[in-house]
Amino acid sequence: MAAKRKAPTRKITTKSKAKTKPKKSTPKTKPQPKPKGGGGGGGRGGGAGTPSGAISVRMYRVGFGDCFLVTLPTAGGPAYVLVDCGVHAKGDAGTLGQIVADIASVTNRKLAIVIASHAHQDHIAGYDRFGTEFATFQIGEVWLPWTWDPSDPQAVQLQGKQAALATQLAAHFAALPPGAAQRPATSAAAAAVANLTGNAHAIALLNTGFGVGAKVRYLKAEDSLADAAGISGLSVKFLGPPHDEAYLAQMDPPANQHYIGLAKGAARDATRIEPFAKSWRAAATRDLTLTKVDEKKLENATTSTVEDLAFALDKARNNESVVALFSYQGQTLLFAGDAQYGNWRWWLEHDQPGQILPQVRFLKVAHHGSINATPKDALEKMTDGNFAAMVSTQSTPWASIPLVPLMARIDQKTKQELVRSDWLHLSNANAPDPSAGAAPPQPANPPAGFTEGGGLWFDYVLKP
Amino acid sequence: MPGRRSRSGRAVGAQTVIADEPISRTPTIRPLKAYAFDPTRGRTLGNYMTINVRYESLEPGPVGRYLSVIDYDATNNCYYRPVDLDDPGVLIRSGLDPAESDPQFHQQMVYAVASETIRRFEMALGRSIRWSFARWVRSGEAADKCLRIFPHAMQEANAFYSRDLRGLLFGYFRASTTDPGLNVPGQTVFTCLSHDIIAHETTHALVDSQRDFFMEPTGPDAPAFHEAFADVVALFQHFTFKDALVDTIQRTGGRIYRTDVPPERAPATTGAAIQAELSTTNPLVELALQFGNAMGMRKALRSALGTPPNSKQLEVLFEPHARGSILVAAVFDAFFSVFVRRTEDLWRVAQVSPADAKANGLHPDLASRLADAAVKTAENVLNICIRALDYCPPVDIRFGDFLRAMITADSDLVPDDPLGYRPALIDAFRSRGIVPDADSYSEESLRWPSPDNVPAGALPACEDLRFDLFRQDDPAKHERAQKHNGRTLHGYAVKNQSRLGLSTAGGAKIQARTFHEVHRVGPNGELVFEMVTELTQHRDVQVDPANPASGTFTFRGGTTLILDSKGHVRYAIQKPMSEARLAEQRAYQEQRAASVDAAAYLSARDLGDQLADAKIDFRLVHRGAA
Repeated sequence: MAAKRKAPTRKITTKSKAKTKPKKSTPKTKPQPKPKGGGGGGGRGGGAGTPSGAISVRMYRVGFGDCFLVTLPTAGGPAYVLVDCGVHAKGDAGTLGQIVADIASVTNRKLAIVIASHAHQDHIAGYDRFGTEFATFQIGEVWLPWTWDPSDPQAVQLQGKQAALATQLAAHFAALPPGAAQRPATSAAAAAVANLTGNAHAIALLNTGFGVGAKVRYLKAEDSLADAAGISGLSVKFLGPPHDEAYLAQMDPPANQHYIGLAKGAARDATRIEPFAKSWRAAATRDLTLTKVDEKKLENATTSTVEDLAFALDKARNNESVVALFSYQGQTLLFAGDAQYGNWRWWLEHDQPGQILPQVRFLKVAHHGSINATPKDALEKMTDGNFAAMVSTQSTPWASIPLVPLMARIDQKTKQELVRSDWLHLSNANAPDPSAGAAPPQPANPPAGFTEGGGLWFDYVLKP
Repeated sequence: MPGRRSRSGRAVGAQTVIADEPISRTPTIRPLKAYAFDPTRGRTLGNYMTINVRYESLEPGPVGRYLSVIDYDATNNCYYRPVDLDDPGVLIRSGLDPAESDPQFHQQMVYAVASETIRRFEMALGRSIRWSFARWVRSGEAADKCLRIFPHAMQEANAFYSRDLRGLLFGYFRASTTDPGLNVPGQTVFTCLSHDIIAHETTHALVDSQRDFFMEPTGPDAPAFHEAFADVVALFQHFTFKDALVDTIQRTGGRIYRTDVPPERAPATTGAAIQAELSTTNPLVELALQFGNAMGMRKALRSALGTPPNSKQLEVLFEPHARGSILVAAVFDAFFSVFVRRTEDLWRVAQVSPADAKANGLHPDLASRLADAAVKTAENVLNICIRALDYCPPVDIRFGDFLRAMITADSDLVPDDPLGYRPALIDAFRSRGIVPDADSYSEESLRWPSPDNVPAGALPACEDLRFDLFRQDDPAKHERAQKHNGRTLHGYAVKNQSRLGLSTAGGAKIQARTFHEVHRVGPNGELVFEMVTELTQHRDVQVDPANPASGTFTFRGGTTLILDSKGHVRYAIQKPMSEARLAEQRAYQEQRAASVDAAAYLSARDLGDQLADAKIDFRLVHRGAA
């Protein structure tokens, strides 16, 4: 079980090596960089760095992506849960090395649970880039969506199809001339595709538990764990991803279709069918033909753009998100990954949202605060002023994220206990400050219960 | 006796020419071959059938009065040669033989099945069809008023109706290579060879031809209704195939509603050894078998009785086909219940029970009589469904409205209902939790109120309408009468605005959009003239009133008015622009926005633009199903 074997990881950057290696022998040191705000890593009975006290959640400023560290106080000292570790290549703040170093130092290289919510770079890239680093951790369990389960034939088939399509899409966007790539729809889709690809190695590492003997679990809606990862009193209920046929159909990339934009060279010949012998083709001069305008209209109506396909695949991936509801010491925390409409809908219809949602005390806002990742009816079922929320977000690479009215509404519902990661200022074009008119307006100091550390993270200590 | 036949259809016997005058021998039907189901059924179960299409003269394509088959393939960017159904080589054998590799047979089959579907609509409605787009096509070209059928429009596992393209588009695709079911792995599957898919898509176009705003996605029921209605028509088509029907009756002992057909020979306890010992699925109650198999589903795409009665399903099923299947199951539950009731006497006369029949086989005469009863019942239920379209509110159709429309339509036509069609429908809908906006499930409550007991009081007659029975003779005169009627109805609506349930607030203008004349034989044998018209009004509202960036949508209300030949109001079926409806529609708009794939990455304006084209996009709807 506990046999330690070096995982076959890629090289980590020298920067992160330099930052993390010295920490190895000094488990109790404060995280790097030093916190500048009050509280923080070692202070005042809260925060991820503190062994005693209440449950706390640390949100790191990765750029566009998610990395959350949950601290659960137990009789034998704090237990740590890492929820995602990734950043989008086009919204990378360059902080991931420091962050992994901080995690190593705070947790003393001991993680009870590592979660990878779904296969997008902005959630799992860190597991790949710092794979050798994580292989030096002691990891209890690794929790992954069922769609990655190599022993589930449906999952394997789905992964195969999605991967093939993602590769084709990536090739398509890479080959576009610069002018075409700058159209808003195209660049938004290209960013989605960049997020979809290059995840195979991270998935392989996670599937093998980083080679450190971690127990790997594949989770689906309706699963639940009592005393999860051996932490007495920790119960976790999974609300997503669902595992039924209708849902699978949504996950399936639109197959059996010929994508014109995608069709260049070999790919075209491989997918296109010529249904009849050439001799059936008619001469162009006969009576019954369409006008050129109509031919064009028909062509447009019968082809999806490559952008459509990219967005469809992106949505399917988001909807494989593990949605975990933690209950511990009377507190309820909801981590919804990047669950979008389909994933939420499923459990809102099949579970008991009316009982679950009013009790939630902490919400990790799904999909960086986008329009379709926090259903209104779900948010409204949560109790006003009963919960705090964190959203890891920024307006790069997609200006439409986070959605202003949604942020404003969560701020209201939490009675101003919402914190955005992009309030941590970095002088980095890839990690901008909130855009003009963003909601909620940034307060001079973090709301009560929240502390800021070194421009790298926010901590939230759950009220008892 | 050798004869000559000219292109104009005159046949002249060589020996018998007496006069020079041409002898008119315009036929009434044109027999054409088609698959009753799809190619996977082979020759079994009467799958090779001949459809007696109503005769019309045709150009190569075929191109006729309603339909024009244009075989353009947008994926391969080419045309396939059009079939000439008047070619003697084709005529002499009642049309081309079924063949998957012959595109001209495909053209023939889509033409035949679509024509037959149109004919069933016209019979039920008592008037001829005019396609929705023909209402605003200004050109005098007859071809521009035809529904275009593209049997091989694209490589895609999909088929759809597009008002914008004025046509039906059928795709072709490769069957699953890993799980092709009844197909050869990777074989090319043509959606235009599925009888069900053709009937389904033609029905979308037919429903659209009746109402201008029916296709707007106003709530979860609206897209589901369109899918359900198209499935109902396609499924009832099965009950006109007498060979398949008799075979299924024989094999099931008359229980044609069973989803499985028992094997011809009972298998040994060790399992079936040969084909005849295998049970099969019942082709009568399933849709698009080949398509479903090719997609790796190992079964038909959908089934008539797919959902057992469960009053909770409507609360959780929102995908249009899944939600629609609740309505389909309700209609078929009613159909089979009536069929069972009306054939009880046949079993008694034959002195057998269905259980005996299953064991010992049925007397062929009994099987034939049972099949006749099924055909008749199917025809009646389908007619009720189609006629109910006239009795639906003009916008925002809900399942409950459709139940009320069916009950009203049928009690108008058959006041006494001895076979209990209406109670069967009511029970089937009630058991599936379809709730009408009525006081109770009694037949009296479900009938739309006649104007004498509407809350606002009796409505006066709408005078000076022109009924124009012989309009085909003089299009110009017909056009004038239509314009006149439009003005008259509009004036009438304005004068009686609030009594018709139309909003007087906010200056929402009233439009008299479509008006259809109905001519049919009434219960007493007299010829009945009626006019069905839709009065609508609308205003643009913000999706989220608190957020100016949220975009707008068009909110509509209206009243369907049914008038008799004297202009007396028989029914005023209302869908007012109420605040409650607006709130529901807003919530639904938000859901629609959230389910757009790219929603997260679009600006509010771009997302609004995507949703603004507020017609139900049948293409996307269908893709979800695959």
